[in-house]
Amino acid sequence: MDILVQTLADGLVIGAFYSLIALGYTMVFGIIKLLNFAHGDLYMLGAFVGYTLLSILNGNGSGAGLMGIVIVLLLTMAIVGVIGMGIERVAYRPLLLAPRLSILITALGVSLFLENGSMIAWGAQYQVYPLQLSHDGWNVLGAQITYTQMGLVLIAALLMLGLHLFISRTLYGKAMRAIALDQTACHLMGINVHKVIGLTFFIGASLAAGAGTMAGAYYGTVNFMMGFIIGLKAFTAAVLGGIGSIPGAMLGGLLLGMMETAGTFVFGGSWKDVVAFSLLILILVLKPTGIMGEKVTERM
Amino acid sequence: MKKWRSVITAALLSLSLAVAGCANQGQSSGASGGDEILVGVLLPVTGNNATDGKDMQNAIEMAVKKVNDGGGVLGKKLKIEVADDGCDPQMATTAANKLVSQNVAAVVGGYCSGATLPSSGVFKNANIPMIVPAANSAKLPAQGYDTLFLINGLTPDQAQTAADYMGANQAKKVALIHDNSAYAKDLADFAKAAVEKSGGTVVAYEAINPEEKDFSALVTKLKGIGPDATYFTGYYAAGGLMVKQFKQKGVSGLFMVGDGSFSEDIIKIAGADNAEGLLITATPTAEFIEGAEAFTTEYKQTYNNLAPGPFSALSYNAVNLLVDALKRANSTDHDALKKAIKETKDFKALGQTISFNAQNTLDTSNFAVLKVAGGKFTLAK
Repeated sequence: MDILVQTLADGLVIGAFYSLIALGYTMVFGIIKLLNFAHGDLYMLGAFVGYTLLSILNGNGSGAGLMGIVIVLLLTMAIVGVIGMGIERVAYRPLLLAPRLSILITALGVSLFLENGSMIAWGAQYQVYPLQLSHDGWNVLGAQITYTQMGLVLIAALLMLGLHLFISRTLYGKAMRAIALDQTACHLMGINVHKVIGLTFFIGASLAAGAGTMAGAYYGTVNFMMGFIIGLKAFTAAVLGGIGSIPGAMLGGLLLGMMETAGTFVFGGSWKDVVAFSLLILILVLKPTGIMGEKVTERM
Repeated sequence: MKKWRSVITAALLSLSLAVAGCANQGQSSGASGGDEILVGVLLPVTGNNATDGKDMQNAIEMAVKKVNDGGGVLGKKLKIEVADDGCDPQMATTAANKLVSQNVAAVVGGYCSGATLPSSGVFKNANIPMIVPAANSAKLPAQGYDTLFLINGLTPDQAQTAADYMGANQAKKVALIHDNSAYAKDLADFAKAAVEKSGGTVVAYEAINPEEKDFSALVTKLKGIGPDATYFTGYYAAGGLMVKQFKQKGVSGLFMVGDGSFSEDIIKIAGADNAEGLLITATPTAEFIEGAEAFTTEYKQTYNNLAPGPFSALSYNAVNLLVDALKRANSTDHDALKKAIKETKDFKALGQTISFNAQNTLDTSNFAVLKVAGGKFTLAK
C-alpha cells in the first residue's frame, strides 16, 4: 500500500512537469500545426534563468523568502515567455506559409541553438540550484509526501486552471480557438493573427519555464541538456492526451508521469524511457488522436 | 599580415626539421650514452584532460629533480622528454614513435586508456619498458605485453575493495546501480561477482539514465527491498542526486559510490547534510595518503599553491619505481631494466606497496574507501 501511494505521489510530481511542458506543445500545434521541438529547451532555459535570478537574489546562498521565490518564478516565466515570442518572430514567422517540414527543421535548429547557447553562457557542468526546498512532509499510509511536492503540484494546477480560464473566457482565448479552426478566415475577419500566435508562444514558453524553475529547485541541479529528454517525454504526453487538446495535455502529462514511475517500479530503472516511448508507439498505432482528441486539428 | 604568417610558418617548419634532425642524431648515442638517462613521459598536456596531465607532469618533474639533486642514478642525471598524447589514440601513436626515435631508456605515462592502448604497442615493438601511473582499463594487461607495467589498481580491484568494506560492515544485502556507461557497468558486474563470492547477495541490479533527474521510482523500489548497502558505480552528476533522494526517502543501509563520483561536486549536488556518511571507493589522492604530507607540502610550494591532482602521487611513485629498478639493473639496457621492474618486490611508495603479479599489474591494489564527514572527504577507518 505504502509503495502504491508513494509511486502515485512521485508520478504526480513528474506528471505535473510533463503537463506544463506538454501544454506548450499542444497550443503551438493547435494554432500553427508546428511541432515545436525547441520547446523542451525553453524548459531548460527557464531552469537557468531562474537559477541566475535566485543567485542574484540570495548571493550568499541563504534561503530567499517564499515571496522571493514566487517573484523569481513569475519573472522567469515572463523573461522566457518573451524569448519564446522572439523565437517565433525570428525563426517561425517567416516560414508560416512554407511547407511544414521546413519549419520543423528550423525548430530542431532552434533547439540546438538554445542548448549550445546555454552551454556557452552557463557552462557545461552541472550547476547546483541556490535554493534548498524543505523535505519535511506527511506520512500518508507509510509513504513520504513532502510539502514541496504538494506545493509544486498545486502551483502547476493553478497555472493550468488559469490557462483554462484564459482560453475559455477571454477574447484572446476565443481568437486562439478561432485561429486553430481557420487561420485565413480569421485574417479576413480582422483578427490580428500574428499577435495571437505570438501570445500563444508567450504562454507556452512561460509555462515550460515555470516547470523548469520548479524542477531545478525540486531536483537541485540543472545542466544544458536537461530539456532534451523531457521535451520528448512532454511531446509523448501531448500525443497521449490528444495533440491540440488542452485538457488532453494536462491529462496526458499526469498519466505519463504515473505510468513511468509505475513502470520503473515493475520493470526496473533502465526501462523508464522504454515504457514512455512504447506508450507513444502504442497510442499512435491504436488511437492516433489520443485520449481527448477527436478530430486531430480542430480542438483547442 | 599574410606575408608575416608565411614567414613565421616557414621559420617554425625549419625549426621543427632542425629539432627532428637533432633527435635523429641523438639516436646513435642512445639512452645509455652520454651522462644522462633519457626517460620518456607520455601525457595529455593539451585538450580536455590537460589539467590532470599537467599535474602528473609536475609530480614527475618533482621526482626527477629530487633524484638529480641526490646525485642522480648510476652516476648519471635523469632527463625527461615530454610527449603529448592528447588523450587521442592517433596523437598517442605519433608521440610514442617520437619517444622511440629518441631512444629513451623507459617511459612513464599513460592517462587515458584509449590513448595508452596503441602507445603501449609502439613501446612493446621497440622493447621499451613503460610504467603507467593512471590508465587502468583491464584491456591493457590483457594485451600480454612484457614491457607494460600498471601501478594503478584495476576495476576488479575497486569492486573487491567495495565488497570487502561491505563485508566488514555486515552488509549482506547489496543493491548495485550503474549508469549504462561501459566503465560503470564493468564495475557493477565485478562488484556483483565480488559480493557474491564473499557470501553476500545482490538484491537489486539496476541501470539508470545519467541524464535523468528523478530517481524516485527506483528509490522507492529499493526502499521496499531494504538493502544493507547500495553501490552506485556511475558519475557524480547522477550520483549526487541519487544520494539526495535516498536520504529524503530514508532508504536503509550504507550508500557507496565508485571513483567516477569522486569529486567535490557530489557533495555540492547532494547537499552537505545528505552527503554525510557517504562512502567512496577511489585511489586516494595525495592529501589522503598517510606519509604523503611532505610530498603535498612540497608540491604546493613548487607549483604556487596548487594542490596535487588525482594522479600526482602515482606519477611520483612511477618515477621512483623506475629509479629503483635502474639501480637494481645497474644498466639502462631495455632487457635488463624490464627484468628489474618485473622483479620489484614490496617497493614502498606513497600510499601503496608495489609488487607485480603475473599480469604486470599491482599485487595489492591501492584502492581505499573514503568517507564524507562534515562536507569533506576523509579516509574511512
